[in-house]
Amino acid sequence: HLAKSPEEVFDLLGKLGEGSYGSVFKSLHKESGQVLAIKQVPVDTDLQEIIKEISIMQQCDSPYIVKYYGSYFKNTDLWIVMEYCGAGSVADIMRLRNKVLNEEEIATILYYTLKGLEYLHSKRKIHRDIKAGNILLNTEGHAKLADFGVAGQLTDTMAKRNTVIGTPYWMAPEVIQEIGYDCVADIWSLGITALEMAEGKPPYGDIHPMRAIFMIPTKPPPSFRNPDKWSPDFIDFVSKCLVKNPEQRATAQELLQHEFIRNAKPVTILQRMILEAKEIQEEQTLNTVNGDESGEDEIEAGTMVRNDEGTMKGSQAGTMQSESGTVICNSEQSTMVESDLGTMVINESDEEDDGTMKRHSTATGGKEKYRPSYLDHFEKKEQEAQAQRTQPPAPVPQPVPPKQITPPHHFQRSLIDGDFEFLRNLKYEELERRLSDLDPEMEREIDELRARFQAKRQPILEAIDAKKKRQQNF
Amino acid sequence: TQSQPRGNLVPANPYLNTEIPEWLIVYSKAPPEHDHKLKWDLFQLNQMETFDAMLNRLYKQECEKIVMKYERYRTALNREIERRKKSSVISTDSNDSAN
Ligand SMILES: Nc1ncnc2c1ncn2[C@@H]1O[C@H](COP(=O)(O)OP(=O)(O)OP(=O)(O)O)[C@@H](O)[C@H]1O
Ligand SMILES: [Mg+2]
Repeated sequence: HLAKSPEEVFDLLGKLGEGSYGSVFKSLHKESGQVLAIKQVPVDTDLQEIIKEISIMQQCDSPYIVKYYGSYFKNTDLWIVMEYCGAGSVADIMRLRNKVLNEEEIATILYYTLKGLEYLHSKRKIHRDIKAGNILLNTEGHAKLADFGVAGQLTDTMAKRNTVIGTPYWMAPEVIQEIGYDCVADIWSLGITALEMAEGKPPYGDIHPMRAIFMIPTKPPPSFRNPDKWSPDFIDFVSKCLVKNPEQRATAQELLQHEFIRNAKPVTILQRMILEAKEIQEEQTLNTVNGDESGEDEIEAGTMVRNDEGTMKGSQAGTMQSESGTVICNSEQSTMVESDLGTMVINESDEEDDGTMKRHSTATGGKEKYRPSYLDHFEKKEQEAQAQRTQPPAPVPQPVPPKQITPPHHFQRSLIDGDFEFLRNLKYEELERRLSDLDPEMEREIDELRARFQAKRQPILEAIDAKKKRQQNF
Repeated sequence: TQSQPRGNLVPANPYLNTEIPEWLIVYSKAPPEHDHKLKWDLFQLNQMETFDAMLNRLYKQECEKIVMKYERYRTALNREIERRKKSSVISTDSNDSAN
């Protein structure tokens, strides 16, 4: 934007987190002394998407939406300057306190989120990535919608693009089915977010994302694991969001009139939670400063701060051409783990061992987060995808060497499709072993499928690129 | 600009119900040795984009098949495990009553 280089204008105070496009820093506007957030995005990532994100943010002027101030190019990075939300995301707070939210806190956050959605939807904008990780709180407790990485408006390119966008666990059935969708897709995600805040993770959050993708459209709408714990108003609110038929789903405007929301308390009730999270973060900061291992540490305001969030990279989740890549961040966030302090603060839902709160053996002093194994696979996939994206299109169309497919674990595959009578003759332990091998096995098979299709699409993509280049030259 | 038409902001995937040409299906399944012989650049740009989108569609369909296949197996495994648990309870019960 301006001629001045951004470092002359801003001081970077410390890293706040990392997303699928780049890192976010707390920063100081030198001239005014105002604290801001700056997202640094390498320009070699999908510039198109980033420009979209910026233009959507730019068009929004609402206290319920994170404000955009401007952007700078700095060498190979784009700096996006936005409003700073000091308390971080709702998911950050849940993770720090290792605790789910209570109904009062949820109602207040949902009220603000609905105001943000009402605003967006009145402008015919769909957010498309509503989840606790994208609701930011400022230090007063005002919730604001962030992350328009995948938000979009009607454009004719969209009609062409047949990708499914977003985070599977929060995705509305109609989005997954690719049958066309509207603003109320956000309302479904809001219902899922309500469950996430109440239970620590979204429904299906602990099952493989690929399975979730096929379950969401086929199963009845999810609900509370333990309905007895919640008020009828809250349950009713969630059920109004989680209506499978989008035409029958409530709008943001309607939901603002819902009893549960009308009774929402002012933001002051969030203070306790925000302060607690802040204290824990500061304590972790101290721990880390005194501790030895500091591989992932980041500097915030001169002190060391652990940055768990940022280690998760976006992914190309299976069939999903997930532009936001939020799949991974969420499976991470939504699993409550033992905190670094070694104390386990379990709120209400500990009596049922439903996996909401995962205890993780802490050989490393709780430094490592619980992490489903398939995340490795997605991370690897993303690295591969990234390598492909950055690799310039080959001028000479070279035959792509077919990816070496090594199928070492076929032992179950052949058995899967027949009749299952043989199971009666297996030992009990064998049954359990097979059950636990199922996800990795499925993943492997999907992997092979993906590799095959990648190889099949490659020559077409190259031909498309070449043709586009030629057309530009004339 | 224009007033929004009623209906979905984001249209359905246009390839959801279009018929995929048989040769493309064959191509998607064929071993890759001969793939390089295909001269994709003889097609128009939008044709190529359509084929690519169709391949993506085929990929998702097959993906779904795989997931569903495992889902059936998972159900059968769970059912058998449940059956064992139940029958072991019954047999303990009957042992108890025998005693
Ligand atoms: N304006 C902001 N104020 C304060 N913290 C922020 C702000 N924006 C982002 N953050 C923090 O930085 C983290 C990274 O944000 P970013 O939007 O880059 O990615 P993400 O939301 O984690 O993931 P994704 O890009 O997949 O949506 C957030 O989780 C949040 O903790
Ligand atoms: Mg974000």
